[in-house]
Amino acid sequence: MTFFAPFTIPFIAGALFMFAAIFLKWLWWTVKLPKVDRRLILHNFFTRNTLVAVWEVVRESLLHIRIFRVNPLLGYMHMSLAFGWFLLIVVGWIETSVYLGWEMIPIQGHIFFKYFTQVNNIDAHSALLENLMDGLLLLVLSGVALAWFKRMASRAMGMRRATKHALYDRIALSALWFVFPARLVAESLTAAIYGGGGFLTGSLGSWLGGVVPTEMLALIYEPSWWFYSSVLGLFFVALPFSRYMHIFTEIPLIFLRRWQLRPTLERKSYDNFEVEACSRCGICIDPCQLQADLGIHDTQSVYYLRDRRYNMLSLKVANNCLMCGRCEAVCPVGINLTTLRINSRAMRRNIPHEGRYGYLTNIDRSSGVGKVGYFAGCMTSLLPAVQRSMMQIFNAVGEDVWYADKDGGVCCGRPLMLSGETDAARKMVAYNTDLFRRYEITTLVTSCPICLRSFRDNYRLDGIEVLHHSEYIERLITEGRLRVAAGAEVYSYHDPCELGRGLKIYDSPRRVIEAVGTLREAEHNRRDALCCGGSLANTVIDDGKQQRIARRMTAELEATGCDTIVTSCPLCQKSIARTATRPTLDIAEVIAQRIVS
Amino acid sequence: MAILNFGYAISRPRAIDVDNNDLRKSNDIIAEMPELQACIGCGSCTASCTAAAITDFNFRKLHTAVRRGEYKGVYDELSKCMLCGKCRLVCPRGINTRGLVMLIKRKLGDF
Amino acid sequence: MAYRVVIVGGGAAGMQTALELKSRGIEPVIVERDIELGGKVRGWHKLFPTFVPASDVLFPLAQRVKAARVRCFYGQEVTDIASDGVTLRSGERIPADAVVMATGFTLFDAHRKQEYGYGLYDNVITSVDLERMMNGGGVTLADGTKPQRIAILHCVGSRDEKVGQRHCSKVCCITGVKQAIELREMFPDADIFNFYMDIRMFGPGYEELYREAQEKYNIHFVRGRISEAAETIDKRIQIKAEDTLTGRPLRMTIDMLVLLVGMSANYENEGIAQRAGLELAPNGYFKTVDNFLGAVSSNRRGIFYAGAVTGAKSLADTLAEASLTASAVDDYLKEVFNK
Repeated sequence: MTFFAPFTIPFIAGALFMFAAIFLKWLWWTVKLPKVDRRLILHNFFTRNTLVAVWEVVRESLLHIRIFRVNPLLGYMHMSLAFGWFLLIVVGWIETSVYLGWEMIPIQGHIFFKYFTQVNNIDAHSALLENLMDGLLLLVLSGVALAWFKRMASRAMGMRRATKHALYDRIALSALWFVFPARLVAESLTAAIYGGGGFLTGSLGSWLGGVVPTEMLALIYEPSWWFYSSVLGLFFVALPFSRYMHIFTEIPLIFLRRWQLRPTLERKSYDNFEVEACSRCGICIDPCQLQADLGIHDTQSVYYLRDRRYNMLSLKVANNCLMCGRCEAVCPVGINLTTLRINSRAMRRNIPHEGRYGYLTNIDRSSGVGKVGYFAGCMTSLLPAVQRSMMQIFNAVGEDVWYADKDGGVCCGRPLMLSGETDAARKMVAYNTDLFRRYEITTLVTSCPICLRSFRDNYRLDGIEVLHHSEYIERLITEGRLRVAAGAEVYSYHDPCELGRGLKIYDSPRRVIEAVGTLREAEHNRRDALCCGGSLANTVIDDGKQQRIARRMTAELEATGCDTIVTSCPLCQKSIARTATRPTLDIAEVIAQRIVS
Repeated sequence: MAILNFGYAISRPRAIDVDNNDLRKSNDIIAEMPELQACIGCGSCTASCTAAAITDFNFRKLHTAVRRGEYKGVYDELSKCMLCGKCRLVCPRGINTRGLVMLIKRKLGDF
Repeated sequence: MAYRVVIVGGGAAGMQTALELKSRGIEPVIVERDIELGGKVRGWHKLFPTFVPASDVLFPLAQRVKAARVRCFYGQEVTDIASDGVTLRSGERIPADAVVMATGFTLFDAHRKQEYGYGLYDNVITSVDLERMMNGGGVTLADGTKPQRIAILHCVGSRDEKVGQRHCSKVCCITGVKQAIELREMFPDADIFNFYMDIRMFGPGYEELYREAQEKYNIHFVRGRISEAAETIDKRIQIKAEDTLTGRPLRMTIDMLVLLVGMSANYENEGIAQRAGLELAPNGYFKTVDNFLGAVSSNRRGIFYAGAVTGAKSLADTLAEASLTASAVDDYLKEVFNK
């Protein structure tokens, strides 16, 4: 039996090239992993995590459960292409095995089985298998049809905008679109000439046999297989350089993630797995407020990852992001979009050159004595009502408090990190850590979610419990230390990005508000909450644009019919108060007004 | 350093020499962020500045110097900024001060 | 029969327009939201730059309106206007041959600049509060004592993008100078500081008064905008600014902080303009046809403006403009009805 025909050469060459390229990429990325990461892999390899990862590969790389959850139609499209294609290969393998036994058949023998059955005169006419294979082909074709449709009318797919692609992607995409129609044509022509085929190829074949003259069929028979093989080959060659690399990248990524590897503020080899695992599905585009409110269409995570991958990332794209995390919350691949964005901002010469922050030595503006430390944060000093309310609360419960920055302090360092100056930020981290240690505090309360995030994520404050003031107040109320009077006031609450999506603190502020009044949720809330636009992370958009973002978000809060808007971040409060027609209070103010002595 | 700059420093005029200053860089910066020209010099940025409360740092003077074509020492001075963003919250002209710090640093040879 | 013109607002602009119309044989009708005439000038102590008591202007004006038997509706709010009359909140309609909008402005709410601590700290007051204090029981700190050190901050709610007030309120600079002098006369030993971004002395005698404040009254002028205020334990106020002329941050503890609040467009302007098809300027004030020959005309024939409803104005300018408005209304009525 022969399993070679000239037309299979493009396919074979393409497949060899693809597997070689993917293997080299994986190898390179793995070799370049920092020692910490390699150690993590070794440490976690023989654990339950590996099995969990296998299951996740099935769920996500094949079935695409997470995309289903965000957008069922889009989920179906990805599932039909990925899982359908996978089954075509598996069932195709079974098909050949059924007819020929467990013989070693070269790979092209499986792929172009319909062709070789004719060449080798194999009697392969199991109706079950043929119909099954046709069913799978139909499944994939329906996915391709949806992909076409998505290009034409993305809105109908529940997406306002579809992704704009790069050149490599266009080649791969065009090839991919033709792969399955080409297979359908080639197999149908085979059926037309030689008979057989399932409900799809068989029916199409007999119809073709009826309308197309036999000589014509014979003339296009070989070329149709050539075409099928060529588009497959072309797709394979383009794949490692196109977004379709995600098919193969997501698999190692899932394992690495289960082995606890994470991107950091510094770029490292692991980032490649995350960057190339992006399928550019475009789900991140719609939640982006820069897109929805400002009509900016070049900076969303999908474009950012694309630009980063092809080494054409501009500073503007890297910097033009609120880092609100709304895209990260919906990313079906679970890419750590904000961390990646931060570490790509570290392009500049991130030097804490001598003397840059030399002024941080021998400075201590703190006051008070107590085991509980209060760090208001830079922004909070522009909102004296917040500080005053916190002091009222501390007094009401008789807490001895050490005030870290009542008279001006040193920045927590996160703003520098958000701008990619992670090394410089370490100076601030070291300064504040030293300050907290010197006063031997055991609890650190802050009113600023930005500070909170850096204290929790970037500081090593073992032995000091770091709390957001909403968490601290909640604790005081539940422990019965702070008594508050409930009223008829109706509040709506805005989730600050750093507090909500950043640190997953959604319930504490809500429970605090519910202790004194009624809470009404805005249309977008919790994980889905809108950004106020005032984010420090974005240094590109101007004041007017920040306000436009704030206005829409404030309008949603006001649409709840609340009496008062509540938030728990000084920056958010500033943004909201600018655009609101109702009073805007910090959660500490709300409570301070309702203390029962 | 003082020795290296000796001859130069002594002949350096006290006045801002706009005739001889190279305004190209300054114009470059302004072209990227025209709002810099909207500064009315109220000093809110410096007054609220976290770094200025601790050390001799004055963002208003630095960007004004840049606009006059005086770049010497600006980069090093500007590096003292902690980028905390308070100035942006107080600027009555709504200038993106934080973006401006980064822009000036970039244009004055950071990267 | 005389033509009837409805004037919305019974402040200085409304009253003066009414008097001028009356003298031209036109019947004015004033609709005032408050229970008496006078508008924002009511409760004001003395007027810049001459220190004439505000009541010396307001009282005769109100007397003359009364003597001229101008019909006034009190406690009535106009919700909609058209060239042929106005609609009140009660639903009642007052027909007219022309309408004059003289609803003035809204004072900027100093609470919106939380960093200055208005409503939070006992001794932070607005320029309006200060006038009321001078008009009433006198100026003291919250605990009844005399202030030793006072700061007056210009441009609170003016020229500030952060509160959506891009425009200059025009009168605060001279008010700040006037109030500084008044405070000096009350407290000869106190230190008085005016914190400013720019000093804009646009009227006759203003610059002279500014100079007098500096030389004769020893008022300190600091070029820098206060960015934050904090209260100390003894209820004093610690302020932060940059002394931009020395280029150094400045910190100072004072007893009293006076915020010179600016003039904002009325919140209601938007709805009224939308329903009546009137144009608004970007800052929310009504927009006139032009600044020259059409300075009191709206884009709708038969609807006119008087006073600060089209932008911040001093009392003197408002009174002058009101006469102009009356003359424009007269011309319009002649042209339309007396062909």
